[in-house]
Amino acid sequence: MTKRENEDQLVLYGHRFASRLLLGTARYESPRQLADAIRVGDPCLLTVSLRRQLPGAKDAGRSFWNLLRDTGRTILPNTAGCHDVREAVNTACMARELFDTSLIKLEVIGDEVNLQPDPFRLVEAATELVKLGFQVLPYCTEDWVLCRRLMDAGCEVLMPWAAPIGTGQGPRNPSALRELRRRAPNIPLIVDAGIGLPSHACQVMEWGFDAVLVNSSVSRAIDPVRMAGAFSAAVRAGRSGYLAGPMTVQELAVPSTPELGRPFSADSCMGTEIVHGPVSSEIGS
Amino acid sequence: MSVIVNGQPQRLPEPPTLAALLLLLSPSTPFAVARNGEFVPRTIYEECRINPNDQIVIVHPTVGG
Repeated sequence: MTKRENEDQLVLYGHRFASRLLLGTARYESPRQLADAIRVGDPCLLTVSLRRQLPGAKDAGRSFWNLLRDTGRTILPNTAGCHDVREAVNTACMARELFDTSLIKLEVIGDEVNLQPDPFRLVEAATELVKLGFQVLPYCTEDWVLCRRLMDAGCEVLMPWAAPIGTGQGPRNPSALRELRRRAPNIPLIVDAGIGLPSHACQVMEWGFDAVLVNSSVSRAIDPVRMAGAFSAAVRAGRSGYLAGPMTVQELAVPSTPELGRPFSADSCMGTEIVHGPVSSEIGS
Repeated sequence: MSVIVNGQPQRLPEPPTLAALLLLLSPSTPFAVARNGEFVPRTIYEECRINPNDQIVIVHPTVGG
């Protein structure tokens, strides 16, 4: 990690992270593959969940628990599959006790077709969880009013979707996402769901989003471990591009090679000092 | 007389407390428990009385996105 990357840390509820990639732990072919993807992707947080123990499954969850412990990563439990407030709040309470963390990725699903968050119940659940001392990271849409209500409820991080969960479509509403970034400049925004390619991740990071959460785009790749590395690099590249400050887009072409002194130009350069461009590598472009 | 544990009927233990039920079942650790849809902190397992047909849910860590 460079000195600049070390200074540019992601801060979520006071927790500081060098990495800006969050990685889901589901749908890998094997625990080994998951462990390798974590090692190569170097995520700041791992998302996990809770499920009922099956009768007789004496080692239920134990090996996964050991795998998580061995990674040494910070854990972000979710409330995946919850559809109402009571269910989400009680799932969060169980997760807090089990994983010993107040961090919770709050999911309250309102539609089974596209797994879209229920904005009304989401705000209600977030309000209750904040009162109970949780550090809530709500999975939401890019809707500005919803995001404002979540901030009013006490959420200090938001997780707007790029597209429906597991679709890999990439940002479906870029203008609304960018507007959200502009209107909420001081709250960490993590793009969650719908990211399919490293270029999608790089794109939203260039827009100034603070981090990206991916799962299926890594675990369902032909080579998940390699894809984890690709996402890690893409997130870093996008962040660097954002911090570097992109050039202003122009309507018309602007030559990068100096105009004066072209070898066969009718204009003479005699007596005129040729002004070289600032970047020598641009010559020829 | 039974309770429902993760959807399966289970004999009501004696004494009828959550602690006694968990001793009987010895679920894999770590786990967390809800009774009739409400989270039960581990600190009150001993005093948490359970009744016939109560719905007990025992969860463990699993993968998630």
